Amino acid sequence: MMSILVSADRLMSAVNKFLVVLGSIALMAAALILSYSVMSRGLFHAANDWQDEAALFCLVGVTFLCSSYVQEKRGHIGISAIEGLLPHPVNKVRGIVIDIISCLFFAFFSIKTWDLLHEAWVDGQVTNSTWAPPLWIPYSMMFTGMMLLTFQLFLQIFIRKAVVSDVVSGGH
Amino acid sequence: MLSVEVTDMSVLSIGLLFAVVTLLIMFSGISIAFALGIVAIIFMYFFMPASSLDTVAQNVYEEMSSITLMSIPLFILKGAAIGRSRAGKDLYDALHVWMGKVPGGLGVANVFACALFAAMAGSSPATCSAIGSAGIPEMRKRGYSPGFAAGIIAAGGTLGILLPPSITMILYSVAAEQSLGRLFLAAIGPGIMLVLFFSVYTIYRFRKEYSVAYKAYEIDKSPNPILDRQTYTMQQKMGSLPRVLPFLVLLIGVMVALYGGYATPAETAGLGAVFAFLLIAVIYKMWRFKDLYPLLDITIRESAMLMFIIGMSLLFANVMSYLHLSQSAAQAIVDLNTSRWVLLAAILLMVIVLGFFLPPVSIILMTSPIFLPPLRAAGFDLIWFGVVMTIVMETGLIHPPVGLNIFVIKNIAPDITLKEIIYGVMPFVVIMLFAVVLLCVFPEIATGLSNWVMGAPLV
Repeated sequence: MMSILVSADRLMSAVNKFLVVLGSIALMAAALILSYSVMSRGLFHAANDWQDEAALFCLVGVTFLCSSYVQEKRGHIGISAIEGLLPHPVNKVRGIVIDIISCLFFAFFSIKTWDLLHEAWVDGQVTNSTWAPPLWIPYSMMFTGMMLLTFQLFLQIFIRKAVVSDVVSGGH
Repeated sequence: MLSVEVTDMSVLSIGLLFAVVTLLIMFSGISIAFALGIVAIIFMYFFMPASSLDTVAQNVYEEMSSITLMSIPLFILKGAAIGRSRAGKDLYDALHVWMGKVPGGLGVANVFACALFAAMAGSSPATCSAIGSAGIPEMRKRGYSPGFAAGIIAAGGTLGILLPPSITMILYSVAAEQSLGRLFLAAIGPGIMLVLFFSVYTIYRFRKEYSVAYKAYEIDKSPNPILDRQTYTMQQKMGSLPRVLPFLVLLIGVMVALYGGYATPAETAGLGAVFAFLLIAVIYKMWRFKDLYPLLDITIRESAMLMFIIGMSLLFANVMSYLHLSQSAAQAIVDLNTSRWVLLAAILLMVIVLGFFLPPVSIILMTSPIFLPPLRAAGFDLIWFGVVMTIVMETGLIHPPVGLNIFVIKNIAPDITLKEIIYGVMPFVVIMLFAVVLLCVFPEIATGLSNWVMGAPLV
């Protein structure tokens, strides 16, 4: 059983790395699309009918698809006030319970995201803009991201790695 | 049925239960974003119609799919490009050379470098890290006491959440439904004021440390590097400029694009990120994927973390609003009929206390629905309040028990004790609180520039 989980964890790690590369491309794409929007409007007086939404979809993709990677690195910050007050064994149990609760929450969220995606696909829902792209595009990224985050949390219940936190995060 | 019984509970009881559950879940150590989502789901299940749970994913998506909010990852990208290159060190070096003749010029150069870097990068810890890693060793080499050197950088770094393009301000503009352009402008005056106050204090403290060192020298001829004068030739001064001027042009260009009406805030973020990448590619030859990967990686980690907090905070705020908790709390505050200044002081005190545990983004999104209606009713300008609240939250970055910047400093200068850092930052906390008092007496320091550029706000 444990060997299956370890293999799944390695696979998940590889998927996360791939998604970070994809997310990096999406980030740069969003920046370029918005820059193009300014240039095309300023230089050619072109109408901006798709740029904002295209950039938004890229950024939604980055946020959701890379959330499991952030969780792998324990990058979603929390209040660690009681951590130092509890003995190690209690802290270990606390960590596992937290991961179980988080996993259940995102499992529920994934189901609700699937409903949203399914409805958007079946009904052919589009956004309200003049460009009107289909809504299944962002919803599918949201669903995939939530599924991966749930799976990441599930793996972390069993495989507990020490992660060095980045002290620079969280100051916004 | 449980859901029927609990709906009979008073708003006060539900509100107290909501507060207790939120505190319990948050203090369990679970991620802030997850905690906010879990609390929202629990209260939706027990106190709201079943259909509300069906639309939870849609609510989160709709709240997050704002192009203004989604500009945050791009501002972080721009900041990371500048922060992870050598731009911080070059900026600091250039200012150091140019301010050589000012007493305590090295310390003042660090304050100015923090301010300029903060305006380019938009992040407090990133500013501390980038300027501090060069500035603290240099100041200590020149005889500055460790606590003083640490205090300058920790306090200077806090300007990152005040000076535009501040992510904290972007969120406040969304939460308070205020103009982002106006908020950015309103932060400039107080930002400059703080830079000047920090500089004056730096000069004062430098003179004090200088005079102690001089007296010691007179007694036992013990050398102290703080007594050494450093001079730079004009050639050295001019030679420091080519690497930093393009970044200053970027800083000004971004502001011109935004206020000249050429670009929206989101477009400004995109344009700024693209130009920051071009600059680091040209100046620092950082264009290979292996060079860029670390800054893209940190952008993704910070963005996803922040966007999750934002999405879940908005869901949390929606639940509070549906259950009339925020409206009732706001009404209860209004009904207290206290003086408007007591009201303001109480709210700011609450912000300080929340700052012990929560990052500024969560404080803004969780408290805005409660605090802003009474403040509006009391006649406070919400643009002005956004600036004041941000300065108060800045102090939270440098005072215990959390003080994120303190830990950033501890990370880059591990041999400086926590006690020295805390003693070093305390005078700056006092200066910031003094600045808040000044802003209360002279609100034009904040609103003057925004009103002059954009006209008086419509009431």
